[in-house]
Amino acid sequence: MTVTAQAVRRDAVKAPRRRGGGIAPPWLFAVPALLIYALVVLYPAFSGAGSAFTDWSGVGAQRSFVGLDNFQQLFHDDQALGALRNTLLLTLAIVVVQNGIGLLLALGVHTGIKSRMVLRVIFFAPVVVSPVMVSFLWKYVYNPAPDAGLNAALGAIGLGGLRQDWLGNPSIALWSVAFTVIWQCAGYSMVIFLAGLEGVPAELHESAMVDGAGTVARFRHITWPLLAPAVTINMMLSTVGGLTLFTQIIAMTNGGPGYATDTLSTVLYKQAFVFGKFGYSTAVALVLAIFVAAVSFIQIGYLRSRETAA
Amino acid sequence: MALDRSVSRRRLLQLAGGATLAGALSACGGGNGSSSSGGPLKVIGAGSQEAGLRKALDDYKKAHSDFDFNLSFSPADQLQTALRAQLAAGNAPDLHAVYPGNGSAMSMVQLSKANLLADLSSQSWTQKIPTGFKGAFQNDGKTFIFSPGTSVLGAIYNKKAFATAGVEVPTTWSELLSVCDKLKKKGIVPIALGAQTPWVTQLIDYALVPGTVYAKTPDFDDKMTAGSASFADSGWADAMDKYLELQKKGFFNDNPNGTTYEQATSMVGTGKAAMAVQVSAVLQAFRAASPTPDDLGMFPFPATDVAADNWIPGGVVVGIAVSAKSKKAEAAKKFIEYCGQPEIVNAWAEAVACVPLYSEGDAKVDPVLKPFLPYLKDNKAVPFMDQRWPNAEVQPTHFAVVQELLGGKSTVPAALKKMDEAYRKSA
Repeated sequence: MTVTAQAVRRDAVKAPRRRGGGIAPPWLFAVPALLIYALVVLYPAFSGAGSAFTDWSGVGAQRSFVGLDNFQQLFHDDQALGALRNTLLLTLAIVVVQNGIGLLLALGVHTGIKSRMVLRVIFFAPVVVSPVMVSFLWKYVYNPAPDAGLNAALGAIGLGGLRQDWLGNPSIALWSVAFTVIWQCAGYSMVIFLAGLEGVPAELHESAMVDGAGTVARFRHITWPLLAPAVTINMMLSTVGGLTLFTQIIAMTNGGPGYATDTLSTVLYKQAFVFGKFGYSTAVALVLAIFVAAVSFIQIGYLRSRETAA
Repeated sequence: MALDRSVSRRRLLQLAGGATLAGALSACGGGNGSSSSGGPLKVIGAGSQEAGLRKALDDYKKAHSDFDFNLSFSPADQLQTALRAQLAAGNAPDLHAVYPGNGSAMSMVQLSKANLLADLSSQSWTQKIPTGFKGAFQNDGKTFIFSPGTSVLGAIYNKKAFATAGVEVPTTWSELLSVCDKLKKKGIVPIALGAQTPWVTQLIDYALVPGTVYAKTPDFDDKMTAGSASFADSGWADAMDKYLELQKKGFFNDNPNGTTYEQATSMVGTGKAAMAVQVSAVLQAFRAASPTPDDLGMFPFPATDVAADNWIPGGVVVGIAVSAKSKKAEAAKKFIEYCGQPEIVNAWAEAVACVPLYSEGDAKVDPVLKPFLPYLKDNKAVPFMDQRWPNAEVQPTHFAVVQELLGGKSTVPAALKKMDEAYRKSA
């Protein structure tokens, strides 16, 4: 490389920075969007967080500073602790099963079969449907009548003994909702894994095949390590999605029967809009936000180190 | 979005902040700032009051050429979320639905304590509110809502289904069990229960508690307020045991926790089920679900084997109030004053199948409600239980514990303990 070429490249690298120490042009372009974001998201979020230290009902001007009372109450609130348990179980199910199915689907449609493009569209289709629509659709599927929906299908194939009150049985309802979410979002995981699979060099597989490696060995030693970035993204998205799951729960079970499907998101919603305790609700929201951030940081730290190791 | 200038930007943003943290609620605070002085009166009503409220507004508009309104309705579940968000943001509708008494986040007491409702005390009709109902309309001696009257709660039944099983309307608890047994043997679901819809869960308790609690202890609510009574040590336990007895005997449809209000309504309308415990305000919905609406009747749901102890629940129906921040408050108050005339009260009450708050001469009452009138006359009616509960948490707790009981995940003492704990929380 010539000296001239090096100088040109250095100049190109420095180009976005403004000489004289001012704000670089790319940042200038981002300023309007950042200002709007700060005004409609950051300022309300930080400003609203103050309500967590008050007894505000959500309407009217009356409110008193109550210090950490709301947080103390939260850690002694059976309903919130039950909801935390449900949230973690749901998240675990979604992270493991959704990504597992997503990976299998991606491997399935990453082959040379003729219908792979059609299958990709079919598997991805539920992702683009509104979660509320999907919830109402699945409420029909989960109709408890023996001659309707899923129960009718089970009866038709001779599995009538497995018929259930899918959303009405407190022992099953949480998993019924989880299944709906997984059904809807597995296609999303599939697309991300598919992008990862496209980046795995075919030459590596060819060399391994020449060396006599079988399908499982090639997946284990070539595909899986190189999929690490896709795994990181999928794990992050599904974890955050699971921890903040709201729409499908409210639309399908409203947190019931009893408290069987309540999550931290539905608890904070109910505290604010049903019980009229906006201050307490904001405390739950704050704890949830910190929890999600902490889990995400730990997770991304671990997964990034795994990527580096790979 | 046009915002009411009286709203502090800081407060609105703080509210939005909580919603932002929630991560999912940002769409709930929508509104179009109707409280400005121009344009039609913005009115939001509850779905169950549609027939009466719309008629009153239409009639008033015909008589007042300068009056115009923009009316929308919301189902009970969504009314609370949508209206509370608008009230908090300061862009509430000029006139809106409010629940009587206390016990709900959208109840008269809760909202008037937050100074969100205009005082209607100077209107002449307020002098005619019967003494026993004042708690539903008034807080601190001031009247804040108008409501056309009282809804009763009992069993809406399909006469054809009763005839098929050869049974008559029961008047005692034992007779009720016998009737259910005969209906079941004929292949008819005795009682349709759509307990997946939360508010439906409470109705059987509400039907039984007047007999198991209030007939023996008419001052039960006062004792609860004073702390000398509890749900757990009262006839509430008897009512819940009876509720579960109906389930154990197989008198409900399969899987009530997975069945919605609409499905239960359809079951009774079509005769697949014989009855459903419901409020008279939803009679029209049952009639709409029936090919032969005249076959539907209603009777007081018996709770005890002593006929004299069978009281009924009779609650003031959802009312309307004027937003304290409305710039068209005077126009809204004039409309409410118009609603207070006996003929309008009667017409509205008839449209929503309730007993009018007062009348001059004979009131027109849906004939189906006649079996309930002697109870009202003899003071054997008690307001819906939640109207005297001290905070908005007891009622949703009741919904949840009933679902747990029906799902076999709780016991009556544990359920009532949770309700007592919710009751003792501050307002």
